[in-house]
Amino acid sequence: MIGLALGRDRVRRWAPIGATTSPGTDARRVLQLILAATWLLDGLLQYQSSMYSTMFGEMIGDSATGNPGVIASPISWNAALVEHHLVLLNTVFATIQLLLGLGIAYRPTVRVALAASIAWSLGVWWFGEGLGGVLSGGASPVNGAPGAVILYALLAVLLWPADRPGVTAPFVAARAVGAPVARLLWLLLWGSLAYFALTPANRAPQALHDMIVSMTGGEPGWVTALENHAAAVLDHQGLTASIVLAATLIVIAAGVFLPPPLARSALILALVMAAFIWVFGQAFGQILTGGATDPNSAPLLALLALAYWPPATAASHAEGSASQPDEKSA
Amino acid sequence: MSTPAWILETFAAVMVLVAEVSAGQVVIARAWTRRGGAGAGIAVSQLLIGIAMTGILVSGLSILPNAVWEVVFAIMTALFAWCLWRENRGRAAASVAHGHYAPHLAHSAAMLYLFAAMAGPSAAGPGGMSGMAWGSAGGMPTLHAPVLALIFALLLIAFTVHDLDRQAGVDGYFHAVGRPLVPAGSALAAAAAEPVALRHTAQADAAETARPAEPVAYTAERLLLSPAVVKGCQVTISVTLAFIMIIMI
Repeated sequence: MIGLALGRDRVRRWAPIGATTSPGTDARRVLQLILAATWLLDGLLQYQSSMYSTMFGEMIGDSATGNPGVIASPISWNAALVEHHLVLLNTVFATIQLLLGLGIAYRPTVRVALAASIAWSLGVWWFGEGLGGVLSGGASPVNGAPGAVILYALLAVLLWPADRPGVTAPFVAARAVGAPVARLLWLLLWGSLAYFALTPANRAPQALHDMIVSMTGGEPGWVTALENHAAAVLDHQGLTASIVLAATLIVIAAGVFLPPPLARSALILALVMAAFIWVFGQAFGQILTGGATDPNSAPLLALLALAYWPPATAASHAEGSASQPDEKSA
Repeated sequence: MSTPAWILETFAAVMVLVAEVSAGQVVIARAWTRRGGAGAGIAVSQLLIGIAMTGILVSGLSILPNAVWEVVFAIMTALFAWCLWRENRGRAAASVAHGHYAPHLAHSAAMLYLFAAMAGPSAAGPGGMSGMAWGSAGGMPTLHAPVLALIFALLLIAFTVHDLDRQAGVDGYFHAVGRPLVPAGSALAAAAAEPVALRHTAQADAAETARPAEPVAYTAERLLLSPAVVKGCQVTISVTLAFIMIIMI
């Protein structure tokens, strides 16, 4: 269904009674709804019992490790605050994320919710995720760099319900910020992932192996078997795997600057890469362990790739750009 | 530590409200006379789901053994599956997801899974009753086949955002209910027959003008059958059910 929407960028204005879709359900709205669903999932995961244990505060505190003092101090303060007021603060966190999801899904509040999600994401990226380990040297594209939550903010910006007047955007992500800025953001994201793949901590012989093995705790047997198999393949192959990973990520980073047919190939590669990372590197975000706060970065990378997908025809996209009357008036 | 009891009780209170609203809709629709049609059937299902989920969230409010609920939701699942099949005969497979009965089928199937996955001896509480409190001594109860729980949770979340994205009233059920209950040609009849969001301005103005003269019962009927309330119940059930699935993984 998503592919269909992206391909046609279909538009429906006021639907008659009994119709099954809403007005202006174009590709961008579909992607906004997926983002909303992800926020909803985040909020519900935050209500899990493990989040009401000391584990949550410790997890926040651990993200300060290796960061510069100016970054680490507020994280430690936040961790202490959460440990002291665990039930209240975790419930507030969960409810905010739930409301962000509901707000993005409900058309009249989509702008407010997207704006709030940007502010919330930036706050959580610093105070909860320690900037995703970007400054601590622990970031890896496999373990969720540059921090899943910053990708929510990026998506909120790229999927903002506005269109640049007089410009036909080549893909959804370019509609609000323009193609040059959107491509630059894509290059920055995937280029940084390629860099992280080659850092000393990640190119060590057992780095990827150990990272994957560490994901098996608390997982169902079939997930553990998958992870162990992947870890066995990467045993003492850290450098080779890092080089291959970085090369692939560079191809993906450059892909959006290529003509549409080649760009689509690069985006398919990005989707495949995201799937591999999610299954083997992130163990499905560890959702099945009951201790995940989000589905991790890979699904968001896939969502980003869909936002850069060139539509089948420019004409159909131009039609899509003229849609969403309710959002514009909101 | 488990998810705090007051959070579960808050969700339970919301489900009690959904059950009460659904009960009101059942009464207005006169479900026992079959005048309400599909809308009444859906209201009955939401009433049952509201009662069952309240019992899951707060064990003291559980009124039936798990086995009985399993039978109830197995019947409801089969019924909605049949309705969905009948509604979408000859249409593309993709249209099934947009069918009016699709979310209700998902709700019923999720409830059936929920009770079946908790039904093991280790999960059954005193007297075989459902409810989370009996798991509180050693943490939350968990569900068998947690992958299914995750799949159901994702499905319910998908229906939540899908329902919220749609204009209130596009589902169309309960439109038939309003007609025989209100005087033909009145503003209230128009209100009951058409979704609020799509109502013509002139009709809306007429409804506003007529409001002071409307009997209280009509106002209550219009409120309970309003598209916003119908959608609100549906979304609330989806979110609460997804919540239960996630915290019991």
